[in-house]
Formats: sequence, C-alpha cells, structure tokens
Amino acid sequence: MDTNATPLTGQRSDAVLKVDSIVTRFGREVIHDGVSFTVERGEVVALIGGSGTGKSVLVKEVIGLLRPAGGIVQLLDTDVWNCGQEEMNALRRRFGMLFQDGALFSSLTVAENIAVPFLEHTDLPAELIPPLVGFKLALVGLPPEAGAKMPAELSGGMRKRVALARALALEPEILFLDEPTSGLDPIGARAFDSMVRVLSDSLGLTVFIVTHDLDTLLSIIDRVIVLSAGKVIADGRVDAVMQLDDPWIRDYFSARAPAARGGN
Amino acid sequence: MSEAGRWIHHEVEEGADILYLTGVWRLSNLIAIADALRALGLAARKHFVLDGSRLQELDTAASFILYRYLATIGCTEAMVSARRFARKHERLLALVHERMACPPAAGKSMHLGLLQRLGAAAINMWRLLQSHNAFVGALALELLSLIRRPKLFRLKETVSQFETICLDAIPIVALVTFLIGVVFAYLLGLQAQRYGANIFVVDGVGLAICRELSPLLVAVIVAGRSGAAFTAQIGTMKVQEEIDAISTLGLSPIQVLVIPRLAAITIALPLLVFVGDLMGIAGGMLIAAWQLDIFASTFLDRLHSVLPMSAPVVGMVKAPVFAAFIAIIACRMGMLVARDARSVGMNTTSTVVQSVVWVIVLDAVFAVVFQRLEI
Repeated sequence: MDTNATPLTGQRSDAVLKVDSIVTRFGREVIHDGVSFTVERGEVVALIGGSGTGKSVLVKEVIGLLRPAGGIVQLLDTDVWNCGQEEMNALRRRFGMLFQDGALFSSLTVAENIAVPFLEHTDLPAELIPPLVGFKLALVGLPPEAGAKMPAELSGGMRKRVALARALALEPEILFLDEPTSGLDPIGARAFDSMVRVLSDSLGLTVFIVTHDLDTLLSIIDRVIVLSAGKVIADGRVDAVMQLDDPWIRDYFSARAPAARGGN
Repeated sequence: MSEAGRWIHHEVEEGADILYLTGVWRLSNLIAIADALRALGLAARKHFVLDGSRLQELDTAASFILYRYLATIGCTEAMVSARRFARKHERLLALVHERMACPPAAGKSMHLGLLQRLGAAAINMWRLLQSHNAFVGALALELLSLIRRPKLFRLKETVSQFETICLDAIPIVALVTFLIGVVFAYLLGLQAQRYGANIFVVDGVGLAICRELSPLLVAVIVAGRSGAAFTAQIGTMKVQEEIDAISTLGLSPIQVLVIPRLAAITIALPLLVFVGDLMGIAGGMLIAAWQLDIFASTFLDRLHSVLPMSAPVVGMVKAPVFAAFIAIIACRMGMLVARDARSVGMNTTSTVVQSVVWVIVLDAVFAVVFQRLEI
C-alpha cells in the first residue's frame, strides 16, 4: 500500500469534521472530558483508545445519535446538535456509517438493504436501482449473486462489505467505520483495509475509523487520534505517535508492533 | 444550451469522437444525466474519447451510468479512453471501470405456484411436527435423569418463572374472565327470562365457566403472554450464542431453560384457572343480581346444589395439559430461531398461533373423552 499517494498535502485544506470540547457523562461517570480534534477533507483518520474510553460513543455523538453533555460537533459545516430536523436530514445523506456488526436489516435481502438509501432519499426510477445496487456490490468486491442472499447467510466479512456498500450508496463525503476489521480473519481484514484505502483515494472520501487493529493503523492510516481518560492524549502521524512517551501508547504499540512490522 | 447539452456534448474533432462531460455529475442529477445520455443517440464508433476538461464534479453512480450507457451501445473497454480529467476523477473512473462487472438484475424472489406453496407448507408442517416429537423425546429423557438426580432441578429459576407466569398474570386473567362471566350471564339471562327460567342462568354460568370458558381463556392468555415470552427469551439467547455457551459449560439447555419453564407453567395454569373460575362466577353473579333479580345468596345456594364438583375439576385437569403443550411449543420454537432478529419475531408469532390452535384441539379431544367417560 502506497501511503504517500494520499492527498494529505491536498489543494484544499478544509475541515469536514470539527469536534470541540465534547463532554460526555453517563450518570456520574465522565466518559469524555473536553475532547477536541479536526478532520480534513480526504484524510483517513483513526481513533484509538482502550476499551471503555468511549470511542464508539464519540462516533455516535458525531453523527447525531447520542447527545453529548457539552461541546460542539461541526460535521460538514453543520452544527449537529444545533440544527433543525430538515438540516439534519440533509446532512444524513452526506455521510455514511458502518456499524460494528454491519447492522444489516435482517428481513431484507442484500440487494434490498443496499437499495434502501436509494429508495428513501432519491427519486431514481425503479429500473435504475438494480444496476446501481449491482455496481455498489461490485465496488466493495462482492459478486452480483450475493444480492439475492439474506444477511443471515453471509459470513462476517461479507456482512461488513454489504454494510459498506450501503453506507457508500448515497456517495457520502465522509465515512465513519466502527471497528471495521473486528471479527475478520487477518487476510479478510487486510483486504478490507486496502479496499477502504482504494475507495478513499479514488473517491476523495474522508474516512474516520474507530479501531483496535494495529495492522490497520500501520497500513492505511494518515493520522491517528488517541483517546485516554476522557481526553485526546495524542494526535498526529502514526510513526510520530508511536514515539510518544505515554504508558498506554507504549503498551499499545509494543504489544504487537514487532510482529506487525515483520508482516509488512 | 439544450437540456442534454448541459451534461454531455458530442463533437467530432479530427476524425475522433469526443464526449465532453459538463457540470456536476452526481447522484442527485442522475436522472437528468441518464436522459441526456439517451438523448445523444450515439451508435458504436471505433473510438470514443471522454473529455473531462469541463467537468466540475463526478461520483461513482454517475460514472457507472456513463460506462453502462457506453456498454449498451456496444462499446468495449478498448474503445473508450479518457483525457483531461482531474487526477481524482481519473482515479475514480479507473476504479469504476475496473469494478464494473455487467451486473445482472438482482435476483427476483421466487414465485411459487399455489400447489407448490401448498406442498412446501405441508412438508414444513410435517418436519416441524417431527422435530417437536423429537424434542418431546429429549425432554422426557432429561426428566428421567432428573428423577435419578433431583439436585439438577433448578428451583430458583422455576420460582422466578412461576412469578412472571402466574402472579403477574392474575390481574389480566381476572379481568378477562370476569368480563366473560358478565357477557355470558347477560346473554343467557336474555333467553332464560323469556321462559321465566331465571334461576337456570346459575347452572349455565357455573358449568360453562368452570368447565370450558375459564380453562380455554386462561390458556389462550398464557399462550399469548408467557408462551411468546419463552420463545423470545430463548430465541434471543440463541441469537447471542448463549445456548451454545450453556452446552459448552457442560449444562443441558433443556435442564437450564426448558424444565423450569415447563414446571412453572404446569403449576401456574391450574391456579390461574381457579382464579378464572371465581372471577367468571363473580361476573355472572353481578349480572344475575342486576338483570335477573337473583341475589348473591340465592345464586350461591343454587350454585352449591347444581354445580357438580366434577366441573371445576375437569377444568383444572385440562389446564396442566394445555400448559405442557404451550411450554413445549414455545421452548421448541425458541430453540429453532435462526441467527437473526427477524426469525425471533417469526417464531414468536408461530408459537402463539400453534399454542392457541393446540389448546383448542386438545379441548375438543377432552370434550369427546369426557363425554365417553360420562364425566
């Protein structure tokens, strides 16, 4: 994977996501205590942190599913927690979300799952939708026959691919992935990673990944944000963050780094 | 500029066919773009050059529509080339081109003929009955092993199930049977009044409530309430692989999940039927006093002399049998849940339908048997 080919040095450097001093509390427990960061257009950014540091919660707050106790989320120039229903619905068409286990609708076939965004958010004629759905399947590397299957018949990796196809249906500008490689075998995980990178490079997609997977970090990520004890403790290029002197970061990278590097 | 010209423009320059893509090629404009392509009315040429110099934006859906159109007019890959695209658009076109298998229309759902569907339903029904049968066998074996090792019995779980099945159901059971008592006594009273046979309403209400209505209604309520809950609980556990975890820990899912529920419901249902008997008679009593001038003391006196003890006993003998059928069907359907949320819903529905049908079938069988035995 050629990480240098990424448009990090891009012509336009406009922020697609600005998270400003987010505070989250569950009861008395403080999950986030002033989390701030920015994501630029075209970047592939990873959010890492130990279990229970509220990574998935943060993503839910960013995409408008869970209201933070304080702070501002500015997604594609819309203030997520301070805008009308109409504005929010317009925003929802501009980002895609891949949930941890795919979250495919179990009563619909794969093709119907992917067709849902087209049917709900566009007025495309009925004859255009099946070919588009077939194309989206091809885009994530699935054969067209997969369209007729039910989600229950799919393997974990295929499920995630279908979910990705659904998330990509409306040509989002930013894509959120929650643990995209968890539960996949290493080969499947690497294939998924490289697919995400290819898509991001060619579609100019901004990708925000919540992950535990060190191999993902080392292969496709431009920038990593480390969340610990409710704060962002590091934010920068992977190799720079690796050198930082923080106990958690050290443990995290030393835990698997030799093997991972050996593999690359 | 014509409507089609807003999106694509065909020019012949130095013998080459150039297609100028213009404007914002995005999903939101897809219909107009598709129309514009069709309006071009191109025929296959030796070579097409796509020109991106006038293009503002491009996404995969729009590129797909373009390539698909070119494919339908008979262009092969080798016949199309691109020039003067922005670098990101070039990459996107390359990706779309690479990934574009010509996708056949998504598989249609199979439409079976009436006879085929009937056959499939019959076969499924037969298989279901067979598997119910096998389950009853497995359950019987587990019950036998329980006799050898009574310590295996899970008393705590059974008591907690008993609470939700029986105690929590008392209000709804009381209400429904009371209302049925009211309705039944009212209708019977209307007929009896014509013949001045008011007092016979007592006979009718007592017999009907205790022998038929209360057991039947209570069983239907419990099937809807607890049967559905059993299937949903066990089904959700199946989805979460909890059942596999139970087996892996060396426990038997039947011992852990099924027998406590079976025991609790078998004890609970006769008790609920008793509650139903009392409340149904109370409902009848209310109407008798109000509409037929039969006061409570007269009512009870008459009931005492005409209602044979066998009537409530028959009702309460039927109840555990209904209960066992409900528990077995509900637990079985829970175990049969596939690994997705949808099948939890389908199996829960199926549990309620099967339980209610079986309760009524069994009730009919009981009616015939008791008739022959002259009880």
